[in-house]
Amino acid sequence: MTLVLLLLAPLLEAAVCGLLYSRRWMERVSVISAAINLVLAVLLVRNVARFQSVSAFNGFLYADALSALVVGLTAFVAFVCAIYAVSYFRTDFERQIITVGRLKEYYTLTPLFVFALFLVALANNLGIMWVAIEGSTLASVLLIAFYNQKTSLEAAWKYIIIGSIGISMALFGTLLTYYAASHIVGTESIEGLNWTRLLSAAPLMNPKALRLAFIFILMGYGTKAGIAPMHTWKPDSYSQAPVPSAAILAAAVLNCALYGILRFHILASKCLGPEFSSGLLLWFGLGSMLIATPFILAQTNFRRLLAYSSIDHTGIMLVGFGVGGSLGPFGALLHMFYHAVTKPLLFFCAGNVQQHFGTAVFRKVGGGVIHLMPVTAVLFLAGTLAVTGTPPAGMFQSELTVLSASVQGRGLWVASLFVGCVVTIFAGFLYHIGNLVLGAPRPGTSRKVESWWRLLPMLLIAALTLLFGFWLPSPLLHLIQQAGQIVGGVR
Amino acid sequence: MSYDSIELGHRLITLMAAAMLVVQMLLAGQRLLPTVIALFSLQSFFLACLAAAVAYVNHAHHVYIAAGLTLLLKVIVMPMLLQRLIRQTGTRVQVESYLNTPASILICGGLTLVGYMVAHPFSQPQEHGHGSLAVATALFLIGFFLMINQRKAISQVVALLTAENGLFLAAIALTYGMPLIVEVGIFFDVLVGVMILGILSYRIAETFESMDTSKLRRLRG
Repeated sequence: MTLVLLLLAPLLEAAVCGLLYSRRWMERVSVISAAINLVLAVLLVRNVARFQSVSAFNGFLYADALSALVVGLTAFVAFVCAIYAVSYFRTDFERQIITVGRLKEYYTLTPLFVFALFLVALANNLGIMWVAIEGSTLASVLLIAFYNQKTSLEAAWKYIIIGSIGISMALFGTLLTYYAASHIVGTESIEGLNWTRLLSAAPLMNPKALRLAFIFILMGYGTKAGIAPMHTWKPDSYSQAPVPSAAILAAAVLNCALYGILRFHILASKCLGPEFSSGLLLWFGLGSMLIATPFILAQTNFRRLLAYSSIDHTGIMLVGFGVGGSLGPFGALLHMFYHAVTKPLLFFCAGNVQQHFGTAVFRKVGGGVIHLMPVTAVLFLAGTLAVTGTPPAGMFQSELTVLSASVQGRGLWVASLFVGCVVTIFAGFLYHIGNLVLGAPRPGTSRKVESWWRLLPMLLIAALTLLFGFWLPSPLLHLIQQAGQIVGGVR
Repeated sequence: MSYDSIELGHRLITLMAAAMLVVQMLLAGQRLLPTVIALFSLQSFFLACLAAAVAYVNHAHHVYIAAGLTLLLKVIVMPMLLQRLIRQTGTRVQVESYLNTPASILICGGLTLVGYMVAHPFSQPQEHGHGSLAVATALFLIGFFLMINQRKAISQVVALLTAENGLFLAAIALTYGMPLIVEVGIFFDVLVGVMILGILSYRIAETFESMDTSKLRRLRG
């Protein structure tokens, strides 16, 4: 029941917002509906904790701990973004950058986007999962092109073209998986592509086809997750999309794309043994971290900086899944959790600064944000520390877990590369954001009154980050452990 | 069903797959935008025929529906949308590519060989599928190559759609298509995708006063 409601609620919201013409009512509907989604997601997490897995419509929809984790994080990110969006777009609206028509576009497309992301995690059928991931791309393209400037059109075009190539590779991979299992599950019924069905058939699948399939899937969904070298759309899209959409892309789409890869990773390790797919995940993960590092050091634009940070975090998670053992997947999922909780804060801070100064280039802002926007500046610095893995933030724990798993599983080589990247990125990030926040402001810049609507979601995230750093409530910890067992339990 | 009609069906499948590959090669050398779109429509028509033949030979009835959807959407609706887009934006009908025609066609030939090599391990001599799978892989690869090679937004979209045709062919060759509901979902996505690509190329044409995507080069680093 919760499964169905979770999918119906965003669709209903999109339909209602499509009919409204008043800005205020669209704001209200979106915030209320995001809150309802969050409540439903929490209910789903509770049900999954109690029954291990839930399903609906004869197994058409299916949720285990892994899906519940992804759905919960998506709902949380969408919720904070919905609150932040209200005041963000009010500012744009007052400056007459956007019209009510544009705003309506945002308020109709965002729920469809969220719907697609929920469907990714809840669909049992891997074909439907593909349809949903492609749907999420389609729903977000026009959000990236939202401001309709030359740069945003360029970003949107790159996003959809690179995304379409990636997604068609993923379809090829899905098809090959279907073929690899077709002699067991048959090609007649829809259940042939159901993940639960494929999981039981995995040991007998055609290994040659499945190996090729996993490579295609990793390339395809990896494009969507922004794994290097398929990451090139990320900095453009993250810097051009309106801030709430960019935050959803960074903190929710990333998880859903990784979720897609994980489902196939589980099948592949069950059929081919753990070495093949985890090896690929590990090397692509390390590659992403290595590629992100120099771009973070030499970055000139803070929105693009966040995109490279997201590529780095994708890498960290992949390394966790790749090193395996019982600790690796747990660490990676823990990292996914902390990343999704904290990352929106950085986007919101960056959005505040960008809206106030009218630019996202470090050099043009100068410095001294702390004198002009004290709350934003303090949160920006705190968020930076949290996201680069400074204790007491949770990401320190998760990175340490991944690190110790990699020492156990793959020896010092991988671990030292990992530490090198994490430390360099910490230094680069702190240098950039420190310069931006501290120091003296440029003459002629005025102090900004920070509205409460805007600070509310930011303070909420900051409080949660701090809280979860010290104490992770046991149901959540249990959920992440369960999900880790689903990914790593095949060994 | 008599042995003869099955034999005929298999030959028809091979013929249609070959025709699709020929059309793909023609696309690499074509210089006029409306003709490019017409060629895509023709290729999709061959695909629909092939799907119908597979459905007939193997008694796989749900493939008929996929064939019908291909006929409706890829042969009629999408080409119409794209032709209308050309008229609305008033772009020049000349296709511009980075490489010249002989070089492009040579590369397409090479990619076809790669397609046959990739498909080889999956070929089972008693089945009809292996030829189609090789062609499908070749279509897929050539589609991507054409996408990189084209400068105009619309011709990139057409190239993407031909790669999609290749995928569909692979699906039919390997497993008689996907389960129906997945198939319908994919068609829905492709249709919406074409519409959104249309909207975007329209906006690009208006803002940049050209559909040449090599002008999109502001975002760096």
